[in-house]
Amino acid sequence: MKIVVCIKQVPATTAEKRYTADFRLDRAAAESVINPLDEYAIEQALRLVESGAVETVAYLSMGPEQAGEALRRALAMGGDEAYLVTDGALAGADEWATAKVLAAALDKLAPDVALMGMASDDARGSLVPGAVAALRGMPLLSYGSELTIHDGNARIRRLTATGYDLIEAPLPVVASVTDQVGEPRYASLKGIMAARKKPLETWALDDLGLSAGSLRGAALTQVVEAKPPEAKPPTERIENVSADEAAAKVADWLAARKLI
Amino acid sequence: MSDDIVFLAEFADGQAARSALELAAGAAELAGQSGGAPVALAYGAGARAGAAALGAAGAARVIVLGDDPAPAITFAARAAAAVQQAEPLGLLAPATPNGRDLAAALVGLLELPAFGPVRTARVEGGALRTEQATLQGTVITVSQPADGAPRPAVILVLANTFTPSDGGSGEAEVADAPAADAGAFGKAKVVESHPAEAAVTNLEEATVIVAGGRGVGSEEGFGPLHDLAAALGGAVGASRAAADAGWVPYQLQIGQTGKVVKPALYLSAGISGAIQHRVGMQSAEHVVAINKDPDAPIGEFADLFVVGDLFAIVPKLTEEIKRRKGT
Repeated sequence: MKIVVCIKQVPATTAEKRYTADFRLDRAAAESVINPLDEYAIEQALRLVESGAVETVAYLSMGPEQAGEALRRALAMGGDEAYLVTDGALAGADEWATAKVLAAALDKLAPDVALMGMASDDARGSLVPGAVAALRGMPLLSYGSELTIHDGNARIRRLTATGYDLIEAPLPVVASVTDQVGEPRYASLKGIMAARKKPLETWALDDLGLSAGSLRGAALTQVVEAKPPEAKPPTERIENVSADEAAAKVADWLAARKLI
Repeated sequence: MSDDIVFLAEFADGQAARSALELAAGAAELAGQSGGAPVALAYGAGARAGAAALGAAGAARVIVLGDDPAPAITFAARAAAAVQQAEPLGLLAPATPNGRDLAAALVGLLELPAFGPVRTARVEGGALRTEQATLQGTVITVSQPADGAPRPAVILVLANTFTPSDGGSGEAEVADAPAADAGAFGKAKVVESHPAEAAVTNLEEATVIVAGGRGVGSEEGFGPLHDLAAALGGAVGASRAAADAGWVPYQLQIGQTGKVVKPALYLSAGISGAIQHRVGMQSAEHVVAINKDPDAPIGEFADLFVVGDLFAIVPKLTEEIKRRKGT
C-alpha cells in the first residue's frame, strides 16, 4: 500500500512578498515553508504507516528548484522518497496546469492514495484535488477530517453543513484532508539526518511525457493587474468607558449603518 | 459557443440552497453584461421539482443534472456534457466544499480556466474579468481567461457576494442534462450520514455573525453570544481555538480551515485575530471587535474596536438592541 502526498512550497505567512513585472510572486525573495495545510496530509499519511495500513509514503511537489527544501523537510517528518517536478516552462502555472502535471506524475508513481491538503495557503481555490481526480479518472474523497483504509477501500469522515458523513470509494483514489486529522509532528534531529540520505528525484516535463506546448504556457488564466488592497479607513476605537456606554455606542454605530 | 452564464444550483431536502439564489442573481447580472442568458445547472434532492421556481430568482433556463442526494461530484459528468454542448462564457460555482468539488471536476474533465474565490466578476467588451485577494489578502489580482482558453471560465464565488433577487421572469424553462455515466466519481458512496447532534446554522448563509474565541473561556461563555446573535437575527461562529476546546462544534469554525464567510456584519468577542482566522472573515462588510487586549491584532482590521470585557458589554449590547428594535 503506497501513498503519495502532494505538497506545495508557499511563502511563509509572515514573509514579505514581492512581485515580478509580470505579476508573479517573486518566490526566490520570500521565505518559504511547506504549505501549512499540507502538513496535515503528511501527518495523516504517517499515521497510516504507524497503524500498519500503509507501507510506503512518497512526496511529490511541483515548483522551482528550491521546492526541494520543502520535500527534504517532509522527509524529515517521515516517509521514504520524494519527487520534484521542476521546469522553467511551469512558472506561473494555474490550477489546471498544476493538476495536469501532478496527474501525469501520479500516473507514473501509481499510488493507492494520492493525498493532498484541503487548500493552499496562498491561492485557496481548493480545486487541484478534484481536477487531478478528473484527469486520472479516479474517485475523489475530499475534505476528510480522517482517512482510513481497509479491504481495498479508502474512507473519509467529512463534515457536512450540520453534521458529518462517512464516504467510501475503492482504491486507487485521490483524497484531501483538513486540519482535523491531528497536529503535524515536528521533525526530530534524527529525522533531519535521515532525510538527507532518502532519495529525492527531479523530473522535468519531458520525463512526464508533457511539453510546454501541451500546457499552453502553463495557464489558461492570465493576470492582467496586481494591486495592493484598498486602504481601509482607520479603525474607530471605543475604550475607557463603562459597559453601558460602550453598548450604547456600538448600537449607535450599527444603527448608523442600518445594521439594526 | 454562447454568451450565457451558467451557475451551479444545489438543492437539499427539496429546497434550493441560498447559494443557488445568490448565484442566480450573479449570473443574471453578468449575462446582462454579456448579452447571454443566465442558466442553472440544478442538482441534489428536490432539484427537478424546484427547478422551474429558479426563474423567480433570475434563471432563464434550468438544466437538471440529477435529483438524488448523492455527493455533488457525482453530477460532474452530466454537468460537463451540458456545458460542453453550449460552451457558455462563464460558470459560477459556490465556494463551498460541494461547489468546489464539482467545479474542480469540471476543470479537470474539460480542461478549463479557473478563478477565485473572487471578490467581483464582470463582463467587459465580451470578456470575463475577475478580481481576487491572494496571499492572505496582501494583494488583489485582476485576471481573465487566456486568449483561446476553452469555455466556460469557472469562477468560485463566496456566499453573500451577490444578493438574491425576486425580480426574475417567473417560471424558468426546464430541461434534463444529456445522459452521461458518472464514471469513477460515482464510485464514492456515502456509507453513513450523521446529521447534527445539536441544531447548527449554516454559517455560510448568515448575513450577521457573532463569533467567539479563546476569550469566551467555556461552552457556557457562549451563552451571551447566542443571545446577542438572536437579537441581531444572526448566527454564532467561532475561532479555531474555541472549536478545538470543544466549546462549539467544528461546523461553526470560521477561518482558513473552517468556513469562509462574507456577512454584512461580523461581530467578534474574545478573538485576537490571527491571520488564519482573518482569511475566513476578511470579506465581511462591517467588522466590530470586542477584546480586552488593546493591542489585539483584530484591532488593526476591525472597523470598530471596543476595548473591554466581553462579559460586561455583550449582555448590555443585547439589551440595547432589543430595546431599539422594540422587542
